[in-house]
Amino acid sequence: MKNILVIGFVLLALSCSKPKNDTVRVAGSTTVLPVISVAAERYMKLHPDSRIIVNAGGSGVGVNQVGSQQIEIGMISRDITQKELEQYPETSFQIHAIGRDAVVPVVSSELYNAGITSLTLEQIAKIYRGEISNWKELNGPDKDILVIDKEASRGTRHVFMEIVLGDKEAVAQGADLVLGANNEEQTALTQSDAALGILSNAWLNDDVKGISILMPDGSIVEPTLENIINNKFPITRDLVLVTNGTPTGQTKTFIDFIMSPEGQEIVKQNGYVSISK
Amino acid sequence: MLVFQNKIGKGYVLASTYLCIAVTLLIFLILFWNSYPALSTVGFDLFTMTWNPAKDQFGVLSMLFGTLAVTAIALLIAVPLGILTAIFTSEILPNRYRLYVKSAIELLAGIPSIIYGLIGIALVSPWIATLFELSSGRTLVTAGILLAVMILPTIITLTDDALHNIPQQYRETSKGLGLYPFEIIQKTLVPIAKRNIAGAVLLALGRALGETMAVMLLVGSIDKIPEPFYNLLSPGQTITSKLGREVGESAFGSLHFSALNAIGFLLLLLVITLTIGTQVYMRKGIRTV
Repeated sequence: MKNILVIGFVLLALSCSKPKNDTVRVAGSTTVLPVISVAAERYMKLHPDSRIIVNAGGSGVGVNQVGSQQIEIGMISRDITQKELEQYPETSFQIHAIGRDAVVPVVSSELYNAGITSLTLEQIAKIYRGEISNWKELNGPDKDILVIDKEASRGTRHVFMEIVLGDKEAVAQGADLVLGANNEEQTALTQSDAALGILSNAWLNDDVKGISILMPDGSIVEPTLENIINNKFPITRDLVLVTNGTPTGQTKTFIDFIMSPEGQEIVKQNGYVSISK
Repeated sequence: MLVFQNKIGKGYVLASTYLCIAVTLLIFLILFWNSYPALSTVGFDLFTMTWNPAKDQFGVLSMLFGTLAVTAIALLIAVPLGILTAIFTSEILPNRYRLYVKSAIELLAGIPSIIYGLIGIALVSPWIATLFELSSGRTLVTAGILLAVMILPTIITLTDDALHNIPQQYRETSKGLGLYPFEIIQKTLVPIAKRNIAGAVLLALGRALGETMAVMLLVGSIDKIPEPFYNLLSPGQTITSKLGREVGESAFGSLHFSALNAIGFLLLLLVITLTIGTQVYMRKGIRTV
């Protein structure tokens, strides 16, 4: 009995040992996540002695954990807010853009097939404000709109609300559900036949259709890679890594790897726009 | 040697007891300490509807409503089911099967709540949506149903123990008086075990109030009270789902963080009140035979 106790304590002590110094911890936006997790895998194959731990959480989590210096790299898909900068005076946030992306209003495939393929920004704003609540009003089927909002600190939401409602922290009165990560949102859109949501361009598929934006001049802008590159699509953003001060050591070489042609290839494969062009 | 070992044993027992007490007190103190900034700035505005950290508005009414609604639904489903199952396993099922059935039921308690959440997302929520023709199956009712399944084992096991621990002579005497089996259960056994059953239900209630993962995935997470308020087939928010979704993204030391601590404190108060209530109630329930 005593032996078991002793062994237990030894194991406990061992498991508490500090992680290796060159471990790079990454967390944050689920928009940036697919790129970084693939990049981390490749990087660790190239540098077998390195360790990179990638976690999700959302842009807010990325900023907070870099701010409180719990992680080396934060993934964010929006700007750092003034409030966040004030919260961490000891941290000097440095940002590294690694790619470009569009935030796309998405609808369930049933709606897309029923003819809802483009909306004006004003119409989308009205839906989120709760002034339009049935697809009938937009020449769609007679169904109540299931308006899906995102958690307040999510990067995708900040970028979207800034353009659509004019304030990145605007409250969406018309929202029916508040969800978090891109995949959670994707699931809800797939399960419904009357939903409108917000997704990163790279998360679109056959069940969740990105709709085009009907511009005031009458042109229709589709969420395609070209339209993101030439800035025609109205809701675009940079995908950013954030560090505390200038990165050094393993953190620096990892970020350099993502900026390299091989790293940028991963960015493209995930459906984002490479910054190197 | 024996004396020495005895001392070690005594020290160990005492140390672990004090550790438990210290941890509980620390949690209480730290939660209160961290929530103090929010409580002092927001004050009674805590009991309003709007939650918007960007504007320092922290109203918890919708979460409080959601927590109570979800818990009530769970108890409404789980209590009758649980007690009837316990009566079956304790009184009707032959003793040699009882242990198997009981351990199978207790296995339910061991399933991690995230698994319940995933099952809820994949199966229960679409079912609810089709059944009631809703646009989304993420509702207070869905979360309540899942919670009911999660607290069933607690109710069944404790109720079963309560019934099973009743000495055999009560059953024999009742039988001798000519009661039918169902009368023995209804008129003799259940009244005797009544207080212990109530204790089981209150413990389950505590778990239901604190459950996070499954509820967070299923409840819809929107800070609204349904219109009208009894329309529980609409999405809502509970205290735990709010905490689960926002605690990671609030900056440590900010008012937002403090407000989240405050709602955690509120939940803790609720649970502590119930636990103390349970214990006082159960103590009164000890039979003097």
